[in-house]
Amino acid sequence: MKKVFLLLAILSSSFSYSQTIPRDSSATQNLQQNAVNRILSVDRSSGVIVGGYAQVDYNQPEGLNGNLDVHRLVLLVGYKFNDKVQFVTEIEYEHVKELYVEQAFLQYTIADNVNLRGGLMLVPMGIINEYHEPTTFNGVERPNVDKSIVPSTWREIGIGITGKLDDASMRYQAYIFNGFASVNGENVLGGSNGLRNGRQKGSESIINSPNLSAKIDFYGVQGLRLGLSGYFGRTQAEDGIQEIEGADVGLSMLGLDARYINNRFSARGQYIHANLSDSDKYNILYETNLGSELKGWYLEAAYNLLALSKEQRLDAFVRYEQYDSHAATEKAGIQRNLGYNRNEWTTGLSYHIAQGAVVKADYQIFDNAIIGNNSFGQLNLGFGVWF
Amino acid sequence: MNKVLIILFLVISIGLSKSIQKKVNKEIKEVFNIEQFTFTEVNIEAEIAKTLPSTFGEDNLFKIETNNTVLGFAYISKAFGKVDYFDYLVLLDKDLIILKTKILVYREDYGGEIGSTRWLKQFIGKTKNDELNYGENIAGISGATISVQVMTKAMNDLLSSIKILHSKKIL
Repeated sequence: MKKVFLLLAILSSSFSYSQTIPRDSSATQNLQQNAVNRILSVDRSSGVIVGGYAQVDYNQPEGLNGNLDVHRLVLLVGYKFNDKVQFVTEIEYEHVKELYVEQAFLQYTIADNVNLRGGLMLVPMGIINEYHEPTTFNGVERPNVDKSIVPSTWREIGIGITGKLDDASMRYQAYIFNGFASVNGENVLGGSNGLRNGRQKGSESIINSPNLSAKIDFYGVQGLRLGLSGYFGRTQAEDGIQEIEGADVGLSMLGLDARYINNRFSARGQYIHANLSDSDKYNILYETNLGSELKGWYLEAAYNLLALSKEQRLDAFVRYEQYDSHAATEKAGIQRNLGYNRNEWTTGLSYHIAQGAVVKADYQIFDNAIIGNNSFGQLNLGFGVWF
Repeated sequence: MNKVLIILFLVISIGLSKSIQKKVNKEIKEVFNIEQFTFTEVNIEAEIAKTLPSTFGEDNLFKIETNNTVLGFAYISKAFGKVDYFDYLVLLDKDLIILKTKILVYREDYGGEIGSTRWLKQFIGKTKNDELNYGENIAGISGATISVQVMTKAMNDLLSSIKILHSKKIL
């Protein structure tokens, strides 16, 4: 009896193996962006995955010289060892000459809804840090909340679990990460960009106090996706310095985000709030001006001017952002700089000429809370691809 | 009896992997509210299959019966998301109305949100005469746009294939 079973099992497994060459071309036609992947990933359960994204920008501030930049060029290479084990890496060129590894992690699938993941990974906070491919957001430049408050692309080395629960329409992520460096080379944390200078990006990074990061996404209401993110820990100080008062700061950051799509209308919004402790001592030790609270939010609405049946999409959008890296300074023992309480309007068009290729044009007006401050404008043009 | 049934499944549908077959059986039991049933492959002639928008090769379409009465059909296939294939199951009643859709295996990181039971509910009750339009009668999911479109197309293709098979009196 057992032998029969075994024989049948072998037969059935060898049979399904012989079918690994895809034959359902009908399901994949009209998906030109996947051509390379299809060639390289003919075996459905293992193989090389190749992809990437890029954005080329032209920024023209009023009254100043313009700036042309191959802002980001990222090559994604993944390898699937089998249905359970895969490696994913993104290699990024920024401004043509800076080379980074943006992600490099190994994933082991324990069950359908539980994956163990370790390596250099994106910190799940808000929308853009995880979904930063240029075809997924409006505007040539990423929202500035996701630069000065959430220091995207925010990635560190860590380990954790992630998965999706189909019945609950939820995605969860929970990681232990290496935190920001208190001092990164010559750079310290400061007023203008908050924590941004502290990103270690997996490059010979130091650790003395692990940080916790988690996010839950809920998409059980048609058209709506909600996210709740949290990040808690302390910055990392070097040996010999870590005992000194002010060598590190404590950080707890919370993020709420929402994305909505209904027919040709779409909208998104995000709110991020971070509390920093011991920034007063840090500011004394490093003679800097790090605030004790960082806060930022934005709201954006867009409407597709083309019929949904068309392959192309032309989104007209408007976004308002407000972000303050000196949202509170009293506990930090420093003077509040209202210049860091910034706001901006962005309005423009995203013309998706194919799924995965977008041409963008927008106009931004930057302002801050200093009384009598003159706002200034900037025209942005660019394209983005994701394949 | 159980053992006999398990063997029966293996003999009849030898091409489905064990884990997939297990998931399919679980869905059939739940949806049709039965414990025992037979699961037989329905072969569509290659000449006809060629003309259909969906794939009807080996191990795609199955008939679900109990006591020689047809309860419905199961369609199992694959579609290509952004960088990898995913496997899905569609259960239809004897009148070819969709009873349930399930993502059996989702392999890539992006787009797995289409596995959401609530999102897949949108396909329940659809018939061969329905036309599904992404963004109109099928809602999108932010962060899973490609997979949503691929799945919507796969379901559209299946419904029109069924329409053709029905008009040819094959189903």
